[in-house]
Amino acid sequence: MKEVVNFFHEIGKLKRKPRRGWVINDIKNPESIAEHTFRAAVMAWVLGKRKKLDIEKVLKIALIHDICEVYAGDTTPYDSILPRTKKKRAELLKTWPRFSNSERKRLAQEKHKREKKALEKLLSKLPHDIKKEIKNLWLDYERGLTAEGRFFRQMDRLEDFLQSMEYWQKYKKPPQGPWWLWAREHFYDPLLLEIIGEMDRKFHKDKKPRV
Amino acid sequence: MASEKKYYLTKEGLKELKKEHEVLKSLRVSKTKGEAPKIWESEDLNPEYLSFQEDLDFLETRLAELENILENFSLIKKPVKNNLNKVNLGAVIAVEVGGQKEEFTLVGTLEANPVLGKISDESPVGHALLGHKIGDEVTVSSPIKTTYKIKKIKYN
Repeated sequence: MKEVVNFFHEIGKLKRKPRRGWVINDIKNPESIAEHTFRAAVMAWVLGKRKKLDIEKVLKIALIHDICEVYAGDTTPYDSILPRTKKKRAELLKTWPRFSNSERKRLAQEKHKREKKALEKLLSKLPHDIKKEIKNLWLDYERGLTAEGRFFRQMDRLEDFLQSMEYWQKYKKPPQGPWWLWAREHFYDPLLLEIIGEMDRKFHKDKKPRV
Repeated sequence: MASEKKYYLTKEGLKELKKEHEVLKSLRVSKTKGEAPKIWESEDLNPEYLSFQEDLDFLETRLAELENILENFSLIKKPVKNNLNKVNLGAVIAVEVGGQKEEFTLVGTLEANPVLGKISDESPVGHALLGHKIGDEVTVSSPIKTTYKIKKIKYN
């Protein structure tokens, strides 16, 4: 039981780890990784039910999808090109980072390798059956192996998008242009596109973002 | 498992899935017989297949998923000569957007992976680009307007 308690203690650190995307945007008191997980899980449950998915699986994927970040840390697509000065950084964050196909592939492979290693370290002392289950659920999320894994990959990003709108409404940052650009290339599930339309109406009713 | 609609696959995507299906089927046979699968020794395999080796339920779920896909797929074909200048499924499209260059491959939802430049034909941008030609400017609005200028279209 000692190792199980250690595991619980380690993942508890996610309650205090701020999400990097908000840190680089200088958001005051940014949400933690665990806070993101909480809402992503509830959203996945509510919306996954409408899509008649295996909810137990969706929820398990939601709960474990970011636990590797205890050791791997949170990353953003901006990390490899982030300028040091605040002014240049603010300019960069108004655009969506574009990379060549080979760079994209390299960055994705490096991230996957880093996170897999971190997950293995985190799970190493757990009983075999639960270790195996968590690892396979994470692979499902990473690779989109089942309808549940593919759905939650989109759900995870939808929670980010909702949070970005909430921060924008409160602090007028992060810049919304890159978020919309990314969202319109990224999301394809009709239900999630409908939700995005509703989010747009809710958060941009009085004022539309310009950048 | 929830059923999904028809899966549109590129030639490369189909090849990969068929290979995975073969490997996992051979793994299932080996596991049933209690033997070490011969396939591990001979092929350059994705190390993640090892996860399937450890977990029979996971293997069966993935096999069922692959079988469902392979029974319900439609191969994305290269368009006829007259339509090669138009964006369709399978097109590799070079665009200029917000002063930046970008290259997308337009794929079905199963292969969509925007992180790797593969965008779904059902995404708002993918859908808007469909049917357009080189030189066209495609605008996607609501709430921020973005224009994609099509520079090049090719089919592999």
